[in-house]
Amino acid sequence: MDLDNLASLEYFYPEIILAGAILLVIVLDLVIKNKRVIGALSILGCLASLGATLQLYSGPSGFLFHRMMVLDHFSLFFKIVALAATILVLWMSFSSREVASLHQGEYATILLSSALGMFFMASATNLLMAYLSLEMVSITSYILTGFLPRNRRSSEAALKYLIYGGVASGAMIYGMSWIFGMTGSLDYSQIHAALFQGQPNQLALFIAFVLILAGFGYKIVFVPFHMWSPDVYQGAPTPFTAFLSVASNAAGVAILLRFFFPGVSQLGPDGSWRFLSGVEWPQFLLIVSMVTMTLGNLSALGQQNLKRMLAYSGIAHAGYILMGLVVLNTEGLQAMLFYIVVYLIMNLGAFLVVVLVANATGKEEIDGYRGLAWRGSAVPAIAMAIFLFSLTGLPPLAGFVGKFFLFAAVIKQQFYLLALVAVANSVISLYYYARVVKVMFLDFPEASDGRVELNPGAATLLGLLSVMTLVFGIYWGPLVAFTSQSLQFFTK
Amino acid sequence: MSDPFFPVLVLFAFAAVVVLALLFIAQTVGPKRMTAVKADPFESGNPPQGDARIRFPVHFYLVAMLFLIFDLEVVFLYPWAVSFRRLGVFGLVEMGIFLLIVVIGFIYAWKKGALDLD
Repeated sequence: MDLDNLASLEYFYPEIILAGAILLVIVLDLVIKNKRVIGALSILGCLASLGATLQLYSGPSGFLFHRMMVLDHFSLFFKIVALAATILVLWMSFSSREVASLHQGEYATILLSSALGMFFMASATNLLMAYLSLEMVSITSYILTGFLPRNRRSSEAALKYLIYGGVASGAMIYGMSWIFGMTGSLDYSQIHAALFQGQPNQLALFIAFVLILAGFGYKIVFVPFHMWSPDVYQGAPTPFTAFLSVASNAAGVAILLRFFFPGVSQLGPDGSWRFLSGVEWPQFLLIVSMVTMTLGNLSALGQQNLKRMLAYSGIAHAGYILMGLVVLNTEGLQAMLFYIVVYLIMNLGAFLVVVLVANATGKEEIDGYRGLAWRGSAVPAIAMAIFLFSLTGLPPLAGFVGKFFLFAAVIKQQFYLLALVAVANSVISLYYYARVVKVMFLDFPEASDGRVELNPGAATLLGLLSVMTLVFGIYWGPLVAFTSQSLQFFTK
Repeated sequence: MSDPFFPVLVLFAFAAVVVLALLFIAQTVGPKRMTAVKADPFESGNPPQGDARIRFPVHFYLVAMLFLIFDLEVVFLYPWAVSFRRLGVFGLVEMGIFLLIVVIGFIYAWKKGALDLD
């Protein structure tokens, strides 16, 4: 299918529903005083869009809008991930005292716009579209990072994020201009044809790829484009930090995979991908992956602020996710997709507990977690232990299965060094995750520590996320089937 | 050198050399007789009054931004008007949707008091 503008609209209704929801929220925010209604309405909009996306999943694939975008299982998978993250984060925002002090109509609107940008990121098949969608997500992220009024840290984080983002996207669009110069096209399939038929200058192509990786890498947060993340994660409103850590990362992976796999590699008959000879970007990513996970984990060791610690752990997890890219086969990519879903669940759960503790004590530092299990409800502490052990990758939790698939893919292709580094990193990460668990269960609370209250909404979400973490650790079959089905790129 | 882009590299090198050479010559050879008048921001203009770094009301930026958005909206109307006949009903509906979105933005800005000038 290769549809023009009008015919494309028929397959575009998840986006249309989401855009409609955004407009509706803007208008209703002006007339409705009860801001809970606005949040509920945003969730409803997302759910409607999710329903439409799932409906398209069983439909045909094809190019939309004169090959600007593509509709295939891969893009729909990341749309589902973005919507799931948005819904869960909006739900989480209900119980956040921090968010309650903000302009909630604008908060919901910008969050939904960010999700819409991620939709475009997942389906862009044109460098121009890729750039624009990335900017859409970036700009909404800058705004929400600096959304806490009269908060110095939040404003500083937003400014840092803006400057880093500006540099990264500048580098990226410069790289894209090189690609355009070498192939004469912005369209992925034409770039693919030009690169594989012609004789592109290998060095120039490699430089262009590295420049483009700068833009994608700053979304996925891998080294050396990670510097913004700890400050931004710490300064942003906590539910939005959670959103940034999972959805923004996933969308970055989507745009990266779409460009580097159907875009500039070729699928061999045995399910392995072949890249242009002489342009060693997988080798480059191998090193990046190792450095990213090591640096992330080592920096996380000394952190006292939970949000900052989770930021560094997010860098480490970006390194783990990249492992699946290095092996250049379907198995690795599938492991990446699986890990993204698992990471979404466990990381959102961990941030939810951070929100609950911040509500009770106003603290994000680790001493706010002193004896958390013995202060009021024990559920948040138990759930946090589940999420943290899952992030470490201990069985029988979902994080273990995710890591198992990644490691298996890497070992099968005989990247022993990478596997070894990753295992060593998992061991290092156990220290800082387990430290939080120790503080929560083995330390005694002091009289000044606030009691953690659990409202029904937060309790339901916490229960849902921890049950999912447990279930996917034992019964992962359906999720594997879903990810392997989603690994289908439409290229013709 | 067989690379077709080699002349471009030469051009870059040449540009860098020329700029650096000119700066260097001006720095070393040129005479420097600094006076108070010469150090003024505008040597032959009015004497400067006060500091250039004054605080703008942030409202200024808001109005400027709103102006840009609604100005661009009108700019979009021109190409549509030119090809109105060819686009037909489809173009009309599309423009209607576009205008609706912009008008919602306008109502929002109005209601939130972004247009109040005080």
